[in-house]
Amino acid sequence: MTEPAASPVEPLASLAELELRAVLDAAVDAVVVIDASGTIETFNRAAERLFGYLAAEVLGKNVSMLMPEPHGSRHDAYLGHHLQTGQRKVIGRGREMTARRKDGTLFPVFLSVGRVAAPGTPRFVGLMSDISERRRVENALRRERDRAQAYLDLAEVILLAVDRTGQVTLINRKGSEILGWEERDLLGRDWLETCVPEAQREPARQLHNLVVGDIAAPGQYSEHEVITRGGGRKLVAWRHSPLRDELGTVIGSLSSGEDITERRQAEESLRKSEQLLTDAQAIAGLGNFEIGLDHEHTYWSREMFHLLGLPSLQTPLPLAEFVDRHVHVADRERLEKAWRSMVREGGEMDLGYRLVRADGHLRHVHSLARISTDPQGRRQVTGTIHDVTESQQAQEEIRQAQERMTQFARLSTMGEMAAGLAHEINQPLTAITNYSQALKRMLASAAEQDPEDIELALSQISAQALRAGEVIRRLRSFVKNREARTELIAPGRLITELLALVEPDARLNDIRLTVEMDEPLPDLTCDPVQIQQVLINLVRNAIDATNEAHALDREVLLEVRRHDGDVVISVADHGPGISAEVAAHLGDPFYTTKSSGTGLGIAISRSILRAHGGKLGHRPTPGGGATVFFNLPVISGRDQ
Amino acid sequence: MKDKPATVFVVDDDEAVRTSLRLLLKSVGLPVETFDSATAFLDQYDGNRAGCLVLDIRMPGMSGLDLQQALNERHSILPIVFITGHGDVPMAVEAMQAGAVDFIQKAFRDQDLIDRINRGLTKDGEMRDALRARDDIRLRIGELTPREREVLDLVTAGKANKVIAGDLNVSQRTVEIHRARVMEKMNANSLAHLVRMVIEAQRED
Repeated sequence: MTEPAASPVEPLASLAELELRAVLDAAVDAVVVIDASGTIETFNRAAERLFGYLAAEVLGKNVSMLMPEPHGSRHDAYLGHHLQTGQRKVIGRGREMTARRKDGTLFPVFLSVGRVAAPGTPRFVGLMSDISERRRVENALRRERDRAQAYLDLAEVILLAVDRTGQVTLINRKGSEILGWEERDLLGRDWLETCVPEAQREPARQLHNLVVGDIAAPGQYSEHEVITRGGGRKLVAWRHSPLRDELGTVIGSLSSGEDITERRQAEESLRKSEQLLTDAQAIAGLGNFEIGLDHEHTYWSREMFHLLGLPSLQTPLPLAEFVDRHVHVADRERLEKAWRSMVREGGEMDLGYRLVRADGHLRHVHSLARISTDPQGRRQVTGTIHDVTESQQAQEEIRQAQERMTQFARLSTMGEMAAGLAHEINQPLTAITNYSQALKRMLASAAEQDPEDIELALSQISAQALRAGEVIRRLRSFVKNREARTELIAPGRLITELLALVEPDARLNDIRLTVEMDEPLPDLTCDPVQIQQVLINLVRNAIDATNEAHALDREVLLEVRRHDGDVVISVADHGPGISAEVAAHLGDPFYTTKSSGTGLGIAISRSILRAHGGKLGHRPTPGGGATVFFNLPVISGRDQ
Repeated sequence: MKDKPATVFVVDDDEAVRTSLRLLLKSVGLPVETFDSATAFLDQYDGNRAGCLVLDIRMPGMSGLDLQQALNERHSILPIVFITGHGDVPMAVEAMQAGAVDFIQKAFRDQDLIDRINRGLTKDGEMRDALRARDDIRLRIGELTPREREVLDLVTAGKANKVIAGDLNVSQRTVEIHRARVMEKMNANSLAHLVRMVIEAQRED
């Protein structure tokens, strides 16, 4: 700075004046003394440094030169006002204001003004210090605080500070938002009493004590609910840290909290739906899988492992290994073929095959699968495997029971037809006996015998033995335990074989069995024995009906007709017909109008026909009686 | 009228049974005629021909029982042996009640059938002999004069000559002459014989 120059106007200086001057020059603050008109009387060294003026430049001039406009030009008025009214606006208080340097630059100063308590015209002392630096620091601090507040407010978590006594000292915007409390309303309130449900207060209080006791782990985790101002509840996951002062003393706790209400609900519902799925799969015996076609990922549900008898913690097997280890050897080719075709054509797979469990047991499964795309856009196969062993077994048992029932009914029908069939076998046996005894007598006789008679007897013995054998063969093929078997048969042959079985019965009952057939007829695809069983039932019923009615017209007409795509076979009698009451129960198992009937004939006939795609019906015979008929669909391409 | 020998008539719709029976009966020297239905037999039926009918009880159309009934209606005396099947007992009973001599169940031993046929033929012979005797008596009764016929009726009614003379208003001597003529014409050797012949002549069937 400039060398302090000796004042030119100081001819005489008392000691007191000299001392004052020394004090003024040593002072850090600028000291300016003005008289009542604002004229500068004293301007110390510090003032010279602060304003850039030499004392000589300003002494005797108005103090307003040190101020920027409009304060400068108004200063005389301020001063006049004070002198007139005695009001003190500045004196004794000090204020911040802007000052003006010699070079015209402005700067902040702190100004204290004192009125010199001396008789005569008043004088004023102004002490000024440059507060530029303080301002800068203050501004920096404010910016820092604003930034911190912004950070607090930006944070998507609750930020909460609580002092040692549990009063809220800070809550950020997110916290206010979640809790529904304005920050100013919440500050100073007891946190636990205000915002924590009573039941969860105690553990929270204990944790708070640990944190402020500085014995909790840093970032201590806890979860508890908070009560919003509206009375709602939110689940919050907290992290707690002690809050220290500059000396390191714990003065409270700072907690960050995340509202996990929805996340927890979502997690819970996800967990629940996963549990439900797992349970449902276990109950249904249904596993599902995803197999990436890039072989990158494979997923098996727990039930998949269970179906295979594998521990569910294992990783899914690669497809090839799965096929190799768990698909029945006879089913592999079928599965692989279906799989390849699904992958190639992007279609679906619907396949039943057998699985070999880890323990070697065999399970029947039904698998559905299709090509899909996973969320990453990779092609994959998703599918299910359903254990159908039990239902397959049940179906097999039903099938066997039905077969036994059919067989039983056939035997029972045969029982009813025994008289007729016994007659049919007795005829050739009688003839054979007669021929052989005639031969014996002829040979024993001394008289000359007709060689033609001997020839006739001999040839007839073998012919009649064959005839009896044929009846027995037909009978056996009809009643023997057999699996259902479908074959292609000409209707003519079917009827011829049928007649061998039913004609004796008709003859025995003195009934004329007439057959009429359309020409030509297509071959039938059926189980001939089962269809004959149906027809025997119908013919026998017709015979019984004829007997019951003592009908004069003792004819049963069997017709085989072509109708649309079907062959329709009907059996017409002239019996009493079928009453509405009987018709209502027709086909009920064990319902019979006959004293010795089993009540199974029509029921089993119906199930046989159903299996053949046909249906049993009845209508009155013109002129009285009943006509029972059924259709058999002709498989196209077999037509002749 | 023994113009034809006693014949076995076989009626059976089953050709094998029919033919085998023909051969069997032929082998034991019995004359046989076979028919494949009841109507075929009935068409040529001659009540005068001696023999025995071997009849299948079950046949389509006209059954064995039907044929038996038709023959009964014609007062046939032809004995019938029914051939029945298994379980035809009720029908066999019916046939027996209608006068069949016997029945035999298939399949049978030849001798059993032959025995039954022979019994039938014997019965037929006896019946025919009895019928012939009755015809003879009726013939002789027919040759009596009206007065002799009146005397016959009164004598066989057990009346004494004196009573008869009173009834007819003739002398007792005249009655004795008529009575002697009746005994002579009827070839009766006693009153008891004469009574038997009159009873026989009055029999129906």
